[in-house]
Amino acid sequence: MRPRAPVGDDGPAAGGAAPWVFLAPLLIFAFVFFVLPLGFSVWLSFTRWNPLGTPSWVGLRQFEYLLTRDDAFWRTILNTFVFAFGFVAIGVPLALVLAFAFSRAKGKAIWRQVYYLPQLTNIVAIAYLWQFVLDDRDGLINRGLAAIGLRGPDWLTDPTMAMISVVLVMIWYDAGKNMLIFSAALEAVDQEIYDAATLDGAGAWRTLRSVTLPIIRPAFTFATITSFITGMGFFSLILAMTGGGPRGATEVTALYTYRMAFEDLRMGRASAGALILFVIIGLLSLLQFRALRERAR
Amino acid sequence: MLHQRTAALALGLAVGTPMAAIAQDAPLTVAMHYTQEQAAPLLACLDAYDADGVTATYQQISYRDYLQTVLTGRLGGQSPDIYNVYSIWAAQMVDNGVLDTPPDTVSEFVSETYSAGTVDAVTIDGTAWGVPTEISAYMLVSNMALLREAGYESPPTTWDGLREVAEAVTTRNDQGRIETAGFAFADSSSGAGFVHPFYALLYSEGARPYADDFSEANLDTPEAETALGQMAGLVQDGITDLSVDAYDFPAGGIGMMIMANWLESEIRAGFGDSFEDDVVVSQIPAGEDWRTLQYAFFMGVDSASDRKEEAWELVRYLNAPRDGGPSCIGEMLAGLGALTANTADNAAMDAPDAFTAPYLAALEEDRAISQPNVMQAAEIEGMMAQTFERALAGDAEPGPALETLDGKVEDILFEFY
Repeated sequence: MRPRAPVGDDGPAAGGAAPWVFLAPLLIFAFVFFVLPLGFSVWLSFTRWNPLGTPSWVGLRQFEYLLTRDDAFWRTILNTFVFAFGFVAIGVPLALVLAFAFSRAKGKAIWRQVYYLPQLTNIVAIAYLWQFVLDDRDGLINRGLAAIGLRGPDWLTDPTMAMISVVLVMIWYDAGKNMLIFSAALEAVDQEIYDAATLDGAGAWRTLRSVTLPIIRPAFTFATITSFITGMGFFSLILAMTGGGPRGATEVTALYTYRMAFEDLRMGRASAGALILFVIIGLLSLLQFRALRERAR
Repeated sequence: MLHQRTAALALGLAVGTPMAAIAQDAPLTVAMHYTQEQAAPLLACLDAYDADGVTATYQQISYRDYLQTVLTGRLGGQSPDIYNVYSIWAAQMVDNGVLDTPPDTVSEFVSETYSAGTVDAVTIDGTAWGVPTEISAYMLVSNMALLREAGYESPPTTWDGLREVAEAVTTRNDQGRIETAGFAFADSSSGAGFVHPFYALLYSEGARPYADDFSEANLDTPEAETALGQMAGLVQDGITDLSVDAYDFPAGGIGMMIMANWLESEIRAGFGDSFEDDVVVSQIPAGEDWRTLQYAFFMGVDSASDRKEEAWELVRYLNAPRDGGPSCIGEMLAGLGALTANTADNAAMDAPDAFTAPYLAALEEDRAISQPNVMQAAEIEGMMAQTFERALAGDAEPGPALETLDGKVEDILFEFY
């Protein structure tokens, strides 16, 4: 029988320097590429810095400006919530439906690949492709509708429709990723559980509601939270597709801070905006995670 | 401790001396946004350049990434010796000491060789910070095939005339969408498609967007309201709408636009053989006292360059006429169909084509007024573009919208002036 190690002697310190040596590459990487930039960004948010010059300390003034005087910042926060909520509320259930549909379909591997393809495509190419499809005057959809005598919506020049358009394209772009997560979760459900449910007389709907969904709940939680975080911070599609227009209707906070930093050269204010967004995402993700975990109990 | 310091000093000298020698021997770097193909005549000049052992090389930085690359390069101590700066970036670069003050010989060369409006475009606080290179100006560009079809033989010269012609040219399909647009604004990411025509109309009203010392904005004036009201009226009265993009002019479905000369090659490609007959450039439609906007790129020297004197010498060499022929920059710009305000170059080159001649005349007659070299120009013009777009779309009335804009712009001016 192996002698038990003394209490407190089973952590990294137990092996002397060896564990730290093995951990060092990861720790150094995390420090250089995560902790350092994040710390620098936090520090910058208390400064006024145009990168041509040197930063000057302004305390909380950047936060005060953004939160109390910058109407555009609040408008972008609202746009961010609309975009992220639309993306999660439609995108996640849609991915689940697709995963269900393909789990029993013939050639499911091919279907999954087809739906995953947008993820492998350059986001700028996707934006241009959809511009051709959605252009108000010459887009494929409106040309098609005109051919049957209907006037299509102003997909990209009406503020409300533009937001709907970018949300739908984002869902199309991302659906394959969540579908794969749900597919993997569905594949992992033991067939014997379904057999037992069938023996107990459960129908298809009952089996889905009482067996499948509870079992894949961790995948659902993961997909919901990661999609929400993605939606709150995503802006490259919007930048390339609408540029934040029309009239700022699709300008989300991440895009607003990007422009502030690299077009207006206001690194301090942009860092403060990014930090506010970071805190909002962090808090909401935490609440979401807790709520979903509570429901799982 | 003393030994450690001595060793560090020796190491520094050992490493530093050859590095300094390498920097002195390295060619001067000229960073511009033109591709190698576009810059071919300039590259030939740089390859041949040898001033007492000082040579030169070319670095291409895409226009979109130019300022960011400059910023990153300076942070890393890797900045080029010579920049080609868009004039609206200049105020910030000067304010932060990025640009070197030109020597008297270069300043004299600029004031003697370039038209007054162009010298203004590169001037901040009374100093011309470099040698103007490519100039862009705005004029009314018309598709005469569409205008003739609507019964008009010449482009309009007043705003009322423009409204009349545009209305006559515009056609809509059964669903009410514009098929042929009488007039179009350009949908550009920077907002220039709204802001630059606004400047042209504002200048034609005899007004300026800022006080001379930038202590206040003049965007809530009656002249500004008139200029924006004219633009908004086209959309509000159904003569055009924002779904039409002036950059589609080369496709032939747009009657008129207020556009810069640099779009010539695309328009020429779009119109093909009918370009000469069907595309006409004319004055800003604002009556006899019309004015327009010009903006410039200029060559400046990095204040951190260790060979500023040699760099200024190279800048002058590249922009000075050669044996009765155009300068290296002039030759390159002519090949691109771009404008220069270098009087010696314009005298040395063939007469401009019918498209370019009115732009050049606007520069020579000092009708083209420079884009303001104000701090945070890109940020301010982005705000202007959003305000103008709201007014055009009918979400706001020009007067109140301009009043709000004026306040926001003055907040920014207050930070810097």
